[in-house]
Order: sequence, then C-alpha cells, then structure tokens
Amino acid sequence: MARTEDLIGDLAAGLRPVRRMPGPGVQAALWLVGAAAAIGAAVLLHGVRHDLMARLMLPQEGAQWLAAVATGIAAALAAAMLARPDRSARWALLPLLPLPFALAWAAMLGLGCLEDLVRLGDRALQPRLSMGCIRFILGLGIPLGAGLLLLLRHAGPVRPTPVLLLAGLASAALCSAGLTLFHHLDAALEVLVSHGLAIALVAVLGRALGRPLLMRAPVAAG
Amino acid sequence: MAGTEGEWEGWMAAAQAGDARAYDRLLRACLPFLRAVVRRRILDPSESEDAVQDALLTIHQLRAAYEPARPIRPWLAAIAERRAIDRLRRHGRRQGRETPIETFGETLAAPAANMAEQRLEAARLREAVAELPPAQRTALVLAKLEDLSLAEASARSGMSVGALKVATHRAVKALRKRLGGGAGD
Repeated sequence: MARTEDLIGDLAAGLRPVRRMPGPGVQAALWLVGAAAAIGAAVLLHGVRHDLMARLMLPQEGAQWLAAVATGIAAALAAAMLARPDRSARWALLPLLPLPFALAWAAMLGLGCLEDLVRLGDRALQPRLSMGCIRFILGLGIPLGAGLLLLLRHAGPVRPTPVLLLAGLASAALCSAGLTLFHHLDAALEVLVSHGLAIALVAVLGRALGRPLLMRAPVAAG
Repeated sequence: MAGTEGEWEGWMAAAQAGDARAYDRLLRACLPFLRAVVRRRILDPSESEDAVQDALLTIHQLRAAYEPARPIRPWLAAIAERRAIDRLRRHGRRQGRETPIETFGETLAAPAANMAEQRLEAARLREAVAELPPAQRTALVLAKLEDLSLAEASARSGMSVGALKVATHRAVKALRKRLGGGAGD
C-alpha cells in the first residue's frame, strides 16, 4: 500500500519542532501546587475556622482530612500517568490507596450520625444539603478540574475516560479538604451527603463535559 | 523490527527537536511493527491499513508527549492498539446500520440483456475518467490504458516518473471512490 508511505512522507515533510512535555510526575506536581494555592487563597478569604487545630487533632477529623488530601494527590498523579499511552493502566487504582482512610472517615461519620441522633433527635436524620459546601466544591472544583484536563489534553486520543473521571475526582477531593478548613458543619450526615454528592458531581461533570478540553483522535481519510 | 537498541528512541528525540530526516526514518522503520500490532486485531487488510494511518497521525499529534528516557515500542504499540480498537468500533457501528445486498452476477437469462449493464458500466467509467484532473487523466491513459512503460509515458507526457506514479495512483483511487469501488474500501 503506497498510500501509507505517502502519508509518512507528508508527516515528515511538515515536521515542526515541539517542546517536549515535562514527565507526568512533574505535570501532576505542577497542578497540585497551583490547586493548593487556589484553594489556600479561597480558604483564607473565607477565614480559617477558629477551632481548626483542635478539630484536626481529633482522630476522626484528622483521618477524614488526610483521606481527602491523599485522594486528591493520588487522583492527580494517576490522571497524569494514564494520559501517557505507555503507562500501566494499574495507575488508575492509585486513588484507592487512601480507601482505608476514606472508609474510616465514613465509619466515623456514621458514628457521628448516631451521636447527632442521640443529641438532636430525629431532626439529625432529615436529609439536608449544605448548599454552601456544594457551591464551594463545584465553584472551585470545576475550574481546577478543567485546568488539569487542559494540562493533560494529550490524553484525548489515548485514554480519555479514566483521565476525565480522575481529574474531576482530584480537584473535588482537594476542594473538599479545603472546605473542611473553614466550614462549620456539625451534623455528620450533612457533611457526608454534601461532600460526597459534590465530589461525585464534579467527577461526573468531568466525564460528561470535559471531552472538548482534550485533543481529538485523528482519523485518516479513506 | 530491525535496528539497534535505543535507535528508534534517538530518532524520536531528534524528531521532537525538528529533525525531519530522523522522523522519516523512524516512521518507516516502525511501520512493520505498527502493522503487526494492528493486524492482531483487524484482519481486513484495507481496514487495518487505515488503522495504521490513524496510528501514524496520532503519533504525530502526540510526539511532544513522548519521554525519550522510556522505551518507545510500548508507546507506539499502545497508540496503534487504541486506533485499531477505534476502527473496529466504528466499523461495528456501520455494520449495524447497513445490510449488505447480495450481488448477482447474472440477472437475466439472455446474455444480451446483461450486456446493457456492461455498456452502462463502461459509459460510467468513461465519464469518470473524463472528469479527472488533466494530469491524472494523462497519467492514467498512458500508464494503464495504453500500457506504456513509465519511462515511455514520462517521455510522452513530459511528467517525471515520480509525478506519473503519484498521479496514476491518485487517479485509480479517485475512480474507485467515484464508482463506489468493489475492490478495497
């Protein structure tokens, strides 16, 4: 088939020098630094909660916060790795590493719900959403996720779906961790539902709407 | 898969810096490898060659994302594999929508009746040839219909041998496309 050889000739003839991309680890680190700065600024703007140190010292809240941060870092690194064709698909499992933390968090929140129930009666079980939480995680999580997808737009022709999901997860998890630093929520169920919902929403939005941010796979004519 | 260890990687690194010759060499050297990867998934020769071309275009598009410290074969193989799967999916979707119509060699018992169809085909072919760009038409007529050698055809038309080859190839492709070619795609 001569046509393929022609194509190679055309590609080589039209070759332009490109700037080599930094490695995936560096890309993830770059984005994490940027995201930490943006979230940090938002947290300072809202004012850190006065009892922050005391709360983070509590084992359940410390574990919760660490789980969110670790999930965010792991998801960002996994997304950057999966965006490269030759990296193992097993990187997608990395964000599961903080799972024990996350489970501990959910269990603690579950206990928290029971405590609330004892303390507040059935008022504690009314499924309420904290719109503030959701607004913060969406408002900051979506632009941060979009930024990560633009940085990893080369994933488009290779492995778009896991990268779209992981980018959403990375930014939402970090925003959730940031939110904990200033937001007062005492009803555990509310935290569980609001944060969980917002994180899932950002991940799903990344999957559904992020596609145009990535490169498109080329198709040969004919 | 000829070539010494690290040779392809070196060519790709040079290509990233803009070395067109190294790039040409790399793509030609890795072509059999790409074809082998794609043919593990797609048996149909023309469909698999299309997937190989998709893979070449993707390699071109993603060349900035290649890390020269890492072996290039897994990188190339993953891209080729991806494009092969895409082609299969598209193909599957197309086949889901279309039903092949059985073609009967002879529709009517009387031989003369079938001749009308042949005459119609010939007319269509003449019409299609007439509509080709002049260079392609000349090349096709000299090289294929008058069956001249490339050197003779080149002398008659004043076109270089290379230009003749390209023009003939394009003409055949255009005709095949226009006549809804039975051969190939």
